Amino acid sequence: MSFSGFGFHLVELGHFAAYLAMAAALVQGLAPLAAHALKRPELARIGISAAAAVFALTTVGGLVLMHAFVTDNFSVQYVASNSNSQLPMFYKVAALWGGHEGSLYLWAWVLTLYTGMVAWFGRRLYPDRLPTILAVQGLLVVGFFGLILFLSNPFLRLLPMPADGRDLNPLLQDPGMVFHPPMLYLGYVGFSVPFAFAMTALVTRWKSEFWIAHIRRWALIAWGFLTTGIILGGWWAYYELGWGGYWAWDPVENASFMPWLVGTALVHSITVQERRRMLHTWNLFLVITTFSLSLLGTFLVRSGVLSSVHAFAVDPGRGAYILAFMVVVLTLSFGIFLARGGFQEAEENMSSLVSRESLFVWNNVIFTVAAACVLLGTLYPLALDALTGGQAKITVGAPYFNAVMVPIFLALLLLMAVGPLVPWRQANLERLRSRLLIPLVVGAVAGAAMLAFAWPVHWTAPVAAALIGFVLGTLGTDYARAVRQRRAQHADESLGRAALRTVTRNRRHYGGMIVHLGIAIMAIGLTGSGLFRADKAVAMVPGEVVEVGGERLRFDGVRTIEGPNYIAVRGHFTLLDSHVVVMPERRNYPVQQMPTTESGIHSTPLRDVYVVMSEPVPAEGQMKWGVHVYVNPLVQLIWIGGLVALLGLAVSLSVRRRERVATGAVAAVGAK
Amino acid sequence: MMRTQVVVPGLVVLLLAASPVMMAQPTAVPVQEDPIERQMLDIAHDLRCAVCQNQPVSESNADLAKDMRKAIREQLEAGKSRAEIVDYFVARYGDYVLMKPPAERAGLLLWIAPPLVLLVLALSGWLFLRRRTGAPVAAAPKLSAADKARVRAARQQQDS
Repeated sequence: MSFSGFGFHLVELGHFAAYLAMAAALVQGLAPLAAHALKRPELARIGISAAAAVFALTTVGGLVLMHAFVTDNFSVQYVASNSNSQLPMFYKVAALWGGHEGSLYLWAWVLTLYTGMVAWFGRRLYPDRLPTILAVQGLLVVGFFGLILFLSNPFLRLLPMPADGRDLNPLLQDPGMVFHPPMLYLGYVGFSVPFAFAMTALVTRWKSEFWIAHIRRWALIAWGFLTTGIILGGWWAYYELGWGGYWAWDPVENASFMPWLVGTALVHSITVQERRRMLHTWNLFLVITTFSLSLLGTFLVRSGVLSSVHAFAVDPGRGAYILAFMVVVLTLSFGIFLARGGFQEAEENMSSLVSRESLFVWNNVIFTVAAACVLLGTLYPLALDALTGGQAKITVGAPYFNAVMVPIFLALLLLMAVGPLVPWRQANLERLRSRLLIPLVVGAVAGAAMLAFAWPVHWTAPVAAALIGFVLGTLGTDYARAVRQRRAQHADESLGRAALRTVTRNRRHYGGMIVHLGIAIMAIGLTGSGLFRADKAVAMVPGEVVEVGGERLRFDGVRTIEGPNYIAVRGHFTLLDSHVVVMPERRNYPVQQMPTTESGIHSTPLRDVYVVMSEPVPAEGQMKWGVHVYVNPLVQLIWIGGLVALLGLAVSLSVRRRERVATGAVAAVGAK
Repeated sequence: MMRTQVVVPGLVVLLLAASPVMMAQPTAVPVQEDPIERQMLDIAHDLRCAVCQNQPVSESNADLAKDMRKAIREQLEAGKSRAEIVDYFVARYGDYVLMKPPAERAGLLLWIAPPLVLLVLALSGWLFLRRRTGAPVAAAPKLSAADKARVRAARQQQDS
């Protein structure tokens, strides 16, 4: 890379493109206001072209940054801090979001992508409201570009140019970490679309029939990405961090879990609005809250406030900017909501307390309680530290969250078991009782089996087993009944065809039920790995055997190996029952001088054997290696359940237009 | 289980013979976990490494965490109980060192708030449902013959 090279100057083009993007976003944000003030409605249309320009310009900036990473352009400070000439190409591209500045740039980039898509679909589907929707998003883009360009600029130069970069944090050199941030941001930022629709609905008094379907679809897409991002984060923690678990209730994790909880409440209660024309105002509140929590998550992770409340004061610019931005967005959005929310009045009343819509209200209550508890546990220690000037400090760790959240999750399982069996409007109690019978029996058997097997573990074990059995019983009997009904109507169909068509002819309902199935599978995995984990920490010399949770492992010794940008000691352990070899590593990345552990894992659907090596200790004249072996039952079901849930979401979103119209026609005639 | 216990040692011997690394250990007696190490890890699991971000002492590689693990071991070897060891660390670092906040002093709010939030929101949900539950559903209007035909046509189109 020379000072006169094309690539060297390309960075300035990207930098300039980013400034232009911010300017264009400002035009996008102000176009409808200008049109209103000048009484020239055609001006509002400028916002649509501006949105396309903002996306194109931001993409130019992003690609230029990627180019700088790929070509090792260490004259860019951000590249020099987060990459290295020896870094594998895959990670060089992903290093773009490996640090603070690039993460924010990715956030803004994703936001402009969503804005572009809203503009693309909007020209046909909601042309009259499109400029206002784009204006809301444009102002958000301006806010983020302000932070990026003035306080966290990834295009800044470092001259003289260093010979090599400081390398990407080794912990981030993992496929899980490569895809985790983009997925999470696609989720966080995805909720900006329902947010923009909600703001537009409030400001322009848009009737709910027109925006409900759009908000639902975008909320489901965002929910899917956020779910994927959270699961990938757990996967990364499990494979990379080497403590045998996947979720630590760390504030960074909680930051993504809060919008997920409220977002999940939203995707449920929005169905009530669509089917029963009620809860309009509450849904707008949920939309605004979900996006606010997405912003809060970004603030918590990006302001440095988590590492220490005082890190916030060390770099006051960034933290204060994000905090001020958040205060402005929250004040404006909740202010507009309070002023105008009443306009979106519900049009129908509940028919009965025992109805699907009533259970959805309880679903919302529980999810909101869950989000409030996570919010409190995450923010309270920060607030306490800040308010008392460091006098009173407190830790809110995993044991607290487990104690508080597990009962809430169990309540959600109960709702999941009962809800799908209760019809809209009013349940026939006798029919409901007979429908509940089989699922209840399945649940009781599962709970009793758990008691017989593992009496002393924890009170949650039999309760969770019973509730999961109840859920699976509900899903199974509900589906079987639908297939039977279909066969009664279409006698010519084979069983397999009828089973498939039952799903494909009612994708929204069965898509949702497949998501529930995925969550139930995950719940099995969480219960199994959370309550039945066995582990041992021992010191071993080669040839010795350790026995953990019914598995016998022999330590065969260690070897030194050399990776592309690290040196590692690799241990060999043989599982004596299956002769599988697992190889945990201790890596050292010389550039960052950071030792990391790679766990050695052997997975079957029933259990994972998870081996971590720590440092060798000299003992009795020979080297003993510290070895921690975990046997985690059913942990793979967490990932499998996640995939099933995402499949269900895809089924639900694949509803074709014709089916949507047909469902609408039937509903209009009057649901029975 | 019985079967594997009989078969496995046989396999071990076979493998040991085959593997050049393994010559030194003809019988594979499982390594036992040091019971003090287990007690230490159990206690360390509930204590926070004070210089780490939300990590328990048992899982941190920070120097302070190593020192704390060593201190726990020494106290266990000196015959101290779990409660005494935890109190020792609380006296030095305050409530901050506990992964699970105590239900007293500054930690009290954390334990009162969740049930309170549940109570308030559940009550609001109940009141909302009570207020919004109207008259029972009116009987669905009878469809005219023409409408019935249209519904049937729509359903058939959907199934085709």
